[in-house]
Amino acid sequence: MTKRSTTHATFVIEREYPHPPAKVFAAFADAKQKIKWFGGPDNWDKSNYQLDFRVGGKESISGGPPGGTVHAYDATIWDIAENERIVLAYDLLLDSVRISVSLATTEIKPSGNGTQLIYTEQGVYLDGYDDAGQREEGTQQLFNQLEAFLNK
Amino acid sequence: MTTLAHATVVMERTYGASPARVFAAWSDVEARKRWSAPADNIRIEYEAADFREGGKDVSRCIEPGNADYVATVTYVDIRKDQRIVFAEDVVHGNKRVSAALISMELTAKGAETHLALTMQIASFDEAGMEAGYQFGWNAALDNLAKEFAQ
Repeated sequence: MTKRSTTHATFVIEREYPHPPAKVFAAFADAKQKIKWFGGPDNWDKSNYQLDFRVGGKESISGGPPGGTVHAYDATIWDIAENERIVLAYDLLLDSVRISVSLATTEIKPSGNGTQLIYTEQGVYLDGYDDAGQREEGTQQLFNQLEAFLNK
Repeated sequence: MTTLAHATVVMERTYGASPARVFAAWSDVEARKRWSAPADNIRIEYEAADFREGGKDVSRCIEPGNADYVATVTYVDIRKDQRIVFAEDVVHGNKRVSAALISMELTAKGAETHLALTMQIASFDEAGMEAGYQFGWNAALDNLAKEFAQ
């Protein structure tokens, strides 16, 4: 039997983008935009992206390094306030093993001529496969990718 | 603008029953109806109950003189007799007031079972729902002990 364990942790990432809130929100809400920055690094294989952006809607993506571990992300959207807030819960599976479940809140606020983004992830890491430090690092990378996308 | 508050609340109890018995009190919706109401004048009604990974519960917390609290639960990770992880949102009247990620872990301690409940809460009404979770779950976990009292 697998040794069961859970570790709970919360991390917060704050970013400033020189773009209006509506543009930042659209990068999350529009599937065609989100797939351009969301997911693993550029050299990963990605498949099965879907986003049904409404409360109760699902988002999923699978991917990983070529020939390597398959990462599967599955989310349910719990709350949307247009141009202000998105709340979703997601789980992450590595080759079909569930390694974490997270509640992720993205807050979007006007800041000068741009936008402040506050991302809070409250997570439970299961059975020792991952931890909040690694997840935060990966998420920082996602927001770098978002920044590059917005600046294009 | 909306006001968000994030919190993590941990509760622990030790019950005089095996992990299998404590787990059964969570997996069985009839048992849950008995112990999850936090006060004598509050009752819980289920509109849907589907205890499996990906399954959903919809329950209504009914208190005289107050709008119902409607909780929608999605079960994410279930390990029989060991662990349940679920996501939940709560709607009060016509307003969504919180989303939460909740994990419940059971550990055998001799003939008893240690239960750890961790609630990671995003409250949309400032800290109001954090207080709601504190009140509701403290009472429910105390009630749960009565399931094993005979």
